[in-house]
Amino acid sequence: MVRVLAFRKAVLAGVAGAIAMEAALLILSRAGVPTVDIVGELASVGFDHHSLALASATVAHLAIGVVWAIFYGYFCWARLKWPPPLQGLAFAAIPALLAILVVFPQLELMRHHAATVTIDVAALMAPLSTLTIAGLVIGHAVFGLVVGTIYQKPVGYPADHKPARPARRRLDGHEKQRRPETSSSFMFATGIECSYPTIERGHWRRDEMDSTGHYEHWQRDFELARQVGITHIRYGPPLHLIFNGRGDYDWDYSDAQMAELREFGPEPIVDLCHFGVPSWLGDFQNPEIASALADYAGAFAERYPWVRFYTPVNEMYVCARMSALQGLWNEQLRNEGAFVNAAFNLAHASVRMSDAILKRRADAIFINSESSEFYQPCCPDEEVRHKAEFENERRFLPLDLIYAHEVSEGMRRYLHDHGVTDQQLDEFRNRKVPDRSILGVDYYEWNERLIDRAGEALALGELFGWYVIADQYWQRYHRVMMHTETNKIDAEGAPKWLWRQWHNVQLLAKAGVPLVGFTWYSLTDQIDWSIAMSEPDGIVFPVGLFDLNREARTVGLAYKHLIDMYRDQPGYRECEPLKQMMQ
Amino acid sequence: MATFLSAHGYDPGPSQRPFSAGAISGVLATAPAVGVLFAFGSLHVETAILGLPLVATLGLGWLAMAIAGAIYARVFGRAANSVHGGWLFGMAFGFALWAAGAVLVLPIASGGVAPAGKAALGVALSMLVWGFAIGILLPFVHRPLHQGLERGSRHPEVGPNAAAGNNPPLRGQRPKQNG
Repeated sequence: MVRVLAFRKAVLAGVAGAIAMEAALLILSRAGVPTVDIVGELASVGFDHHSLALASATVAHLAIGVVWAIFYGYFCWARLKWPPPLQGLAFAAIPALLAILVVFPQLELMRHHAATVTIDVAALMAPLSTLTIAGLVIGHAVFGLVVGTIYQKPVGYPADHKPARPARRRLDGHEKQRRPETSSSFMFATGIECSYPTIERGHWRRDEMDSTGHYEHWQRDFELARQVGITHIRYGPPLHLIFNGRGDYDWDYSDAQMAELREFGPEPIVDLCHFGVPSWLGDFQNPEIASALADYAGAFAERYPWVRFYTPVNEMYVCARMSALQGLWNEQLRNEGAFVNAAFNLAHASVRMSDAILKRRADAIFINSESSEFYQPCCPDEEVRHKAEFENERRFLPLDLIYAHEVSEGMRRYLHDHGVTDQQLDEFRNRKVPDRSILGVDYYEWNERLIDRAGEALALGELFGWYVIADQYWQRYHRVMMHTETNKIDAEGAPKWLWRQWHNVQLLAKAGVPLVGFTWYSLTDQIDWSIAMSEPDGIVFPVGLFDLNREARTVGLAYKHLIDMYRDQPGYRECEPLKQMMQ
Repeated sequence: MATFLSAHGYDPGPSQRPFSAGAISGVLATAPAVGVLFAFGSLHVETAILGLPLVATLGLGWLAMAIAGAIYARVFGRAANSVHGGWLFGMAFGFALWAAGAVLVLPIASGGVAPAGKAALGVALSMLVWGFAIGILLPFVHRPLHQGLERGSRHPEVGPNAAAGNNPPLRGQRPKQNG
């Protein structure tokens, strides 16, 4: 898959482009400019009956327009960062060139009555007058402008719109192995990528489950996970589609999937809030999100009382940063005060959601996934060092809040500067953290950053590695840990990355850190993560265990190899820290 | 180009069989294309241009299309497995073959003689039909040829040595000895 294609939009764009092209050429012709009539040219080839010829040629012309528009959608859309009509115009150079050099001369050949002709290049190109070429160029330019204008945003949907409900569940479970009720084996996990932030000031909804085809293929996705040997799957039912308002839930978006997971597995780690909220809740600046999401979490736990593992809010730090500091998602703000506000609202939501779940299921286990980050100063410059130190404190903020950890003095001053009171901090500090809380540490090759002389953060790649960075989190919180996300953008290098991450996990466990799981994220390729989902381009991010055709990637084979090799080993078949937590 | 495609996720990996799937699909897709050539009278024209008997022309065509199919499947990699997009990729490839082959190669091979009239139209349509057919067929032909997860996951290149980038062992590279 090259790009995600919006098929209907492409068909519409192709038909409209072809009509506009023909209309423009007819107008020029009526205005007395000698030019090419494309439909007329097509009609004159291969048809004897005039009216049939014209109808067939019109259909052929529209079909060719559609094919070119689909080609544009797959290969060329969003390749240039230009306004869409200009992208279409640039693309039109390809069909125009082919029309001039290949198709038009060939159409002339096809009008011959003889079965063969002897030709040379000069004879072949002879019918191409300057005016003919100009007509073909103008016609294709109009086509490109129209296609470019119509074919936009192949992924996502208006925020007030709901996509079609997921495919119905096929009840063919007699051949499947049933999920064990309780298991304390090491968690070999993956996840279904489910981010749903809004962009364009809240008007456009990104929905990764929709873009990756999960709503259509969800049952097959779970089956593929089982075939790899996955024991746990991080699964985020679409909060923005289920939670219609206080007390109003549309469980059609989750019932069938949850029933399948309950019966056949993998064991779900339910991810309740993943980078977005329903439109009626606004964004992460809204102080009401904590109580609203607590209602949702409680309702969810009541509807699916068998679910034991929860991630109440995914990657709070990343969510607050992208939404309120980097201006990419949801509220799309770029200021420190907004970041602090979002981080507190998210942490507050996480706490309230956990409490609501515990009321329904006292032995629930929380996996608080957070992106592990590290900032290295490039040089001894005072300002650069200060910035790196500050960022190295800031990365802990949401976890400090939910794990009732004291924030540093510098961070306290920063929070005071942005309106946080000691009383607010004390509320978190005095919280009784649930015993069954697992610290999930995500790691990607861009998580280690260099602060350069200009104070900008540059991706360092794997400098110190997961072992070193995760150990910093362990030293701070001393909680049972799990490697909760990793992948590699370079599909060819992904097996190498997988095994190296795995060795990091083993080394940290050997050092005495209680580790209960490992995750390759995600099951399938993702969409637009190369641009942090900031624009609805539909670019495939080839990081999945399976591609979007649901064909195994090399890393999918490698993960199965790894799981098969380790799952029955002592310490993995029964993972002691998890066993204690399950009791 | 190949490195770019492989880094961006088109590399079929060790469990897929693009060459055989492409060759088989190429052969199968030639059947409707021959039908089009026959219907437009293009087959006899090509036979005359090449100066070969009909059977030999057909045999040569089938062989060429098997090779073209294998090339198509390898170049498009995982994209060719797409049930939704395959037909388009196939048609694009068929068009490219027509532009390069029928329009340039055939006249050169025959000293400037090219099909014209309905025969020329038949050649063009046959290549589009062939491309469309291979694009549609390939995902379905390829699937049963895949190694399953069970066998695919036993390939050494996805095993633990991948952590070292499948570098060869350090045998024979002993530390330098003093003296």
